[in-house]
Amino acid sequence: MSSDTHPPVVIERRYRAPLAEVWALWTTREGFESWWGPEGFRVEVHTIEPRPGGRLDYDMIADTPEMQAAMREMGWSTSHATHGRFAEIRPMTWLVLVHQIDFIPGVETYESRIDVALSAEGDTTRMVVTLHPHRDPLWTARSAEGFASQLGKLDRRYAAAPLSAG
Amino acid sequence: MQMHPFETLADPTRRRIVEALRDGERQVNDIVRAAGIHQSGVSRHLRILHEAGFVSVRPEGPRRLYALRPEPFRELDGWLAGYRRLWEARLDRFGAALADRLENRASTLKDPDP
Repeated sequence: MSSDTHPPVVIERRYRAPLAEVWALWTTREGFESWWGPEGFRVEVHTIEPRPGGRLDYDMIADTPEMQAAMREMGWSTSHATHGRFAEIRPMTWLVLVHQIDFIPGVETYESRIDVALSAEGDTTRMVVTLHPHRDPLWTARSAEGFASQLGKLDRRYAAAPLSAG
Repeated sequence: MQMHPFETLADPTRRRIVEALRDGERQVNDIVRAAGIHQSGVSRHLRILHEAGFVSVRPEGPRRLYALRPEPFRELDGWLAGYRRLWEARLDRFGAALADRLENRASTLKDPDP
């Protein structure tokens, strides 16, 4: 399912939390709104239907003056209606979230895919997220540049290593 | 103008040429056959790949042999590492949201003294 040139990126995390709570962050309105989106954005969920083929519709909203300015600079709206669907879903175990990438000027709509596998292990939950990078690598690169300006905040918040993008 | 490595590979024909060269150097006719593309476009795309540093070319008698160069792929690897870090950061947000959620849950469910 990945593009011709990109292998998928796989990230594994383990949380000291019940599986149902981790699942809820992907499949409920308040759960999804509590974390989704890059730094500098928030989302407002309109429809979230965690069943096979169910819709996921939300607004992605630039949430800080810096991000709003950055979006305007790139000629983009500060809020975008975003559409996805749960292409596959097995409760508490597995979901495939497919997003429609329809906001790039001059680029035909295409889909990007995220796989999420969950399992309970003792009192922890293991989560494996498989990311299939955007099909158009140029867009992916631009998207990363868009995000990069916000990473200083993340560094402060999570003491992460600074990103040397680009 | 120098093309970004991603821009170079954004073209599906050039990706097929790169795939065709993955197992080693080839001459144009072999690339045409392996990539399943028309001869007329191949020269142009090979030139672009060469100028972008993806492909080296050396003469061998009357033939020209094309091969991949590692440098732009290292750059792409580096970019993918950055992409991974972005997602690591997003999942840090996930972890923080999860912790908040559990904390709220605990304070909501906290029993009064028995």
